[in-house]
Amino acid sequence: MSKPRKEARQLGPVELEIITGTIRSAELEIEAAVERTSRSPMIRDQHDYRVALFDARGRKLTGRSYSALVEPVFEYFGEDDIHPGDVFFWNDPYNSSGGIGHIPDLCSTLPIFHEGRLIGFSQVFGHHDDVGGSVPGSLPVHAEDMWTEGLVIPPIKLYERGKVNEAAFRIVERNSRLSEHLRGDLDAEIGAAMLGSRRVVALAERYGADTLEAAFDAMIENCAEAIRRELLPRIADGVYAWEDYVENDGVDAPRLHAMRVTMTKTADRILLDFTGTDREAKGPINWAIDYSDGKFVRKWMGPVLRSLASSPERAAEIDMNEGVLDVIDVKFPEKGTLVTPNFGKATGMRFFILLRSLGIFAALLSKATGGQMPADHETIRIWGLHGGASNRDFFLFREVLGGGGPGRPWADGSDVVHIVPNSRNLPAEFSETRYPVMVEKLGLARDSGGAGFRRGGFGYDKRIRTLQSCRLLSNADRALVNTYGVNGGRPGSTYSIAVEDGGGELRDIAGMADNIEVPEGATVRIRTTGGGGWGDPLLREPDLVAYDVECGLVSEDSAAEEYGVVLNMAGTRPEVDEAATDTRRMELRAKRGALPMFDRGPYVEAARAAGRLDWPEGWQDPDAGWWAETAAEAAE
Amino acid sequence: MALRIAIDTGGTFTDVIALDEETGDQFAIKTPSTPADPSLGLLAGIDEVLDAAGAARTEIGQILHGTTTATNAVLEHKFEGLGLLVTEGFRHLIEIARQSVPDGYGNSFFWVKPRRLVPLHLVREAAGRMRHDGSELVPLDEESVVAAADELVALGVDRFAVCLLHAYANPAHENRVGTLLAERHPDIHVSLSSVVLPEYREYERAMTTLIDVMVKPYCKTYLGHAERSIRERSGAVPFLIMQSNGGIVTSAKAAEKPVTMLVSGPAGGVLGATHMARLADRRNVLTLDVGGTSTDVSLVRNLTPQLTSHATIENYPVKSPMLDIETVGTGGGSLAWIDDYGALKVGPRSAGADPGPICYRRGGTEPTVTDAGLALGRLPEALIGGGLKLDADAARAAYEELGRKLEIAPEEAAAGVLEIASANQVHGIRRVTTTRGLDPGDYAMVAFGGAGGLFAAEVADFLGIATAVVPPNPGNLSAFGLHVSDVKRDYVRTCVRQQSSHDPDELEALWSALEDAGRDEIAAEGVARGAIDLVRSADVRYVGEGHEVPVPIPPGTAGTDAVETMWRDFHRVHESTFGFHYEGRQDVEVVSLRVQAVGRVHRPEIRPLESGGGEAAPVANRRVYWRDGGWIDCGIWRRGDLGVGAALAGPAIVEEYGSTTVVPDSWQLTVDGYGNLILEKSS
Repeated sequence: MSKPRKEARQLGPVELEIITGTIRSAELEIEAAVERTSRSPMIRDQHDYRVALFDARGRKLTGRSYSALVEPVFEYFGEDDIHPGDVFFWNDPYNSSGGIGHIPDLCSTLPIFHEGRLIGFSQVFGHHDDVGGSVPGSLPVHAEDMWTEGLVIPPIKLYERGKVNEAAFRIVERNSRLSEHLRGDLDAEIGAAMLGSRRVVALAERYGADTLEAAFDAMIENCAEAIRRELLPRIADGVYAWEDYVENDGVDAPRLHAMRVTMTKTADRILLDFTGTDREAKGPINWAIDYSDGKFVRKWMGPVLRSLASSPERAAEIDMNEGVLDVIDVKFPEKGTLVTPNFGKATGMRFFILLRSLGIFAALLSKATGGQMPADHETIRIWGLHGGASNRDFFLFREVLGGGGPGRPWADGSDVVHIVPNSRNLPAEFSETRYPVMVEKLGLARDSGGAGFRRGGFGYDKRIRTLQSCRLLSNADRALVNTYGVNGGRPGSTYSIAVEDGGGELRDIAGMADNIEVPEGATVRIRTTGGGGWGDPLLREPDLVAYDVECGLVSEDSAAEEYGVVLNMAGTRPEVDEAATDTRRMELRAKRGALPMFDRGPYVEAARAAGRLDWPEGWQDPDAGWWAETAAEAAE
Repeated sequence: MALRIAIDTGGTFTDVIALDEETGDQFAIKTPSTPADPSLGLLAGIDEVLDAAGAARTEIGQILHGTTTATNAVLEHKFEGLGLLVTEGFRHLIEIARQSVPDGYGNSFFWVKPRRLVPLHLVREAAGRMRHDGSELVPLDEESVVAAADELVALGVDRFAVCLLHAYANPAHENRVGTLLAERHPDIHVSLSSVVLPEYREYERAMTTLIDVMVKPYCKTYLGHAERSIRERSGAVPFLIMQSNGGIVTSAKAAEKPVTMLVSGPAGGVLGATHMARLADRRNVLTLDVGGTSTDVSLVRNLTPQLTSHATIENYPVKSPMLDIETVGTGGGSLAWIDDYGALKVGPRSAGADPGPICYRRGGTEPTVTDAGLALGRLPEALIGGGLKLDADAARAAYEELGRKLEIAPEEAAAGVLEIASANQVHGIRRVTTTRGLDPGDYAMVAFGGAGGLFAAEVADFLGIATAVVPPNPGNLSAFGLHVSDVKRDYVRTCVRQQSSHDPDELEALWSALEDAGRDEIAAEGVARGAIDLVRSADVRYVGEGHEVPVPIPPGTAGTDAVETMWRDFHRVHESTFGFHYEGRQDVEVVSLRVQAVGRVHRPEIRPLESGGGEAAPVANRRVYWRDGGWIDCGIWRRGDLGVGAALAGPAIVEEYGSTTVVPDSWQLTVDGYGNLILEKSS
């Protein structure tokens, strides 16, 4: 029989399960605390913040959020200058080990101590409404350096041994157009991180710091093991290359800024090499990730692998923590590219390329799995209106709008998804009460989802009327280049924003725009991107197409042209004309060539046809020679 | 003899407690539930408890009913026949929802949007538009309403939800739609969002209205059937229904707005626990209701169960005032299992009532929490009061097997399963405490349900809770709770006004109108006007905040004083909720005005027990395993032997019919004047 035990317990399956569950529960508690106490809609409703718990070495333990890094604490302060009650604070994209990508993200990091021993870190960072710079909202689309973008804070202590650095706080507040929001949000984030610390301390008290450390090791190893056992075997070993583009840097005329990645897959590792990526941009689309062995971007891209799990439910269970680093390596090109920008280059819109990195990884995996990965989707763009005669009645109405999700082998794309977990859009009834706007339409954009055996999800079709004159901003990519379709699937539609002035004139606005004058009574029309389609649209079940037509989500034209489905529209519900559909599909098949693995849509096709796509040494068109795996079936 | 009969209808069993108002005697029975028509089980339960009490059908004074049937209807996805009418331009409202992808980063790649309550082809638009201040911008296009209704009815819609923009500010358009529908299609069921939930946020209001109309026919039918049968058998006996907010209403009222019945069943448990906490002289408690498949936890502050209006059922938001009850997927029947990576897990899968734990010998093959309790000696091999003889050998064998796979001793595996189950419950308790900014260590615990006593001390230990109370008959406290409820209804009106520019007379008038409605409706249910309390509160925030805090207005504050109090007290409430305030620095706005109308009804008196007979001897000794102590010989007591004032020190086990209370080492137990077992951590 087991011996009575009074000492701290050794790590066994029971302790591991409880510690793992408690860390997960603590992460949810920190999130709830941020939401309960923060001020700005950006944090509260749109959930643009991340929380994380780390071990004493700065290794990430939690999986929901990608989080920033703890490395700047070690780098700037060192182990001897980390004390109970300290709060480390920064937003400097070039002094955050690659963990903070743009200046509105203010990051607070608290060390956790138990009996004088450092046992971990608790961290919260949020995307704040306004941190100064040249335009309201602190995302100037024409910025050519980071000082234009707002107040830059290198790693400092906002609290030192529990004592607040009031001077630093005052400087930060003074530099914001919305200082009330900012102070409230920072207080909330720090308070929430403290709550997380207490949960880790309680675990150390119950199980002992050594057992806790052993549990953290096991949690990280379990993540790596799950990836090795469940996900890597589905990827064929080999070397694969792919690229995708950011289309507009806000400064130069629109052109394709390419991010290029070569993936080398071996039995138990993946190497992602960014060599070949285009030069850094003048405008704010750079992303400084070549720090600390690329730890940030490895953890950021890792979760894409989960789409290879046995089911979507299983995918959601796989916790992606620091264990990702045991599986994914990265290699960066020399300084001066989009992902290795020189110090001080503007980064405000780095979320474009950050999303491109996920889409490129997914496409590389499509190549290596016979097209079994989801298609493309674009999930973040910001648009807004601001105005007011003075600082007193200044308003900033800003929405982060999702786009259609990707078609994938197991399902159509979900509609208007946002990559930020649990992000929420602004209810019309809130917007109309709070801001001088009227929401005339909150809809899904017809035909926006890329056609496919499993089609892309639909983007937004929103119409907002202005009730006073104001200025418009738009921070959006994919206004020219479509979201790509995979394995025979068609691309999703692009983003567009236009202003219909009183006279019925429609004025198209570029995806990247600031301070566009909008008169009172105008209507702003926004359509966000649809998701890329997956698989041959001519194989889609005709009944599903008929239903989308009945709901007004797919037009009759699109049903006939993209899906080859002929409908009888005479009755109360559309009916599939089976004979005509068979004929139509046969005609369409005869007309078209082999289906490509990737379909990037008309803008890139035109550039390719005109010879405007070119590649650095050692590169060639990464789409060439890749065909859909379903093409053969389709021909039968 | 006048019997008050309380019936708590669960998914599997219906618990009934009858109380003789003259003598205070209680009679309890348990009978199978009848989900197809819950009124059958309800009526059978009444007859069975009358038998037990030796009373006739004509001796019933009042019938009270709590139920989980409305929730179960939602969980069973009985969505057929639902249709939705929205404002022009908003047809895709519930497809879009709040654009949320749950949980993790990158889940948008693989996450599949769940099925909507109403498929898009059954959603129609009506032209017409209200502004947020309640003024009309575009008149209602009645033809578009009629055309939409005709089309939907032709497509088989028989339950119709109406959610028009800003209807909370002015229900005129929705009311007109209601009239048109009643004239043209008198047989369909209709719910208007301005009646169900007159609050802003159109998606949540639409979903709540859909849930309401979805369960309406089912609830109306079975409550109506029950009421008619009761009247035939027993005459005009009041038939009252527990609502999610912890108050009772007449069955007719409940059937009109069944969304208010969603957590009716668990609410009874919280009220029962609150009542026993009052008797045990504990004002701040956490309730822990451990059932077969799940555990419900909630928080009671100053003897007031806490309300929330942000609940979800599965993925569907329901914004009706309800007791803030968090459900954890761990109970006595939860399965212990090992995942593909060798990790030990408990729940959420459960052996349920059928086949049940291995030790019940009804075909269960996977080890459960109950089997762990038995294998460790914490639960008895034979339940007191007869009934089942449990198969301890089979339970032990299952844990031998589990321990072998985990390479740990079998008793460590079993004790570990209980510890993991406790930790799961702890996470749930944190969701109602620390995530609300409260420290569970400041609370006592009231543990009940069949397995509450098994977990009370272990869960309390995790949270730094020093006192746990196990009330008498913990297995049917939810039914008991029905006996100690008041008549209660909530009224709300969204009306966004800023402090800097508000008109106090306007707010006062709106508040008074809610009070008048409350007073009239409660009086109509037979409560004397002098016994009606009207409690005002308001949802208030700093201008620009996305969420409001509820500000209670002290009783007796009326007129524009109440408005003044609301503005003043908001800062204090904000400080105590969030830890900071901006008094004098930022403008404040009220979002919704609320009134809770409470009709105080006669509650049966729970009399203290005769004192004396305190000390008792253990009826047996048994070896019981503890992770920190190994196998220890423990005294086994019968609860019935422990009189008022009895005291004993752990480790010990107290057994009663249907429940067992575990007193670990370093805990002690006393019995208070009402028969509560008070477990206290030794200092």
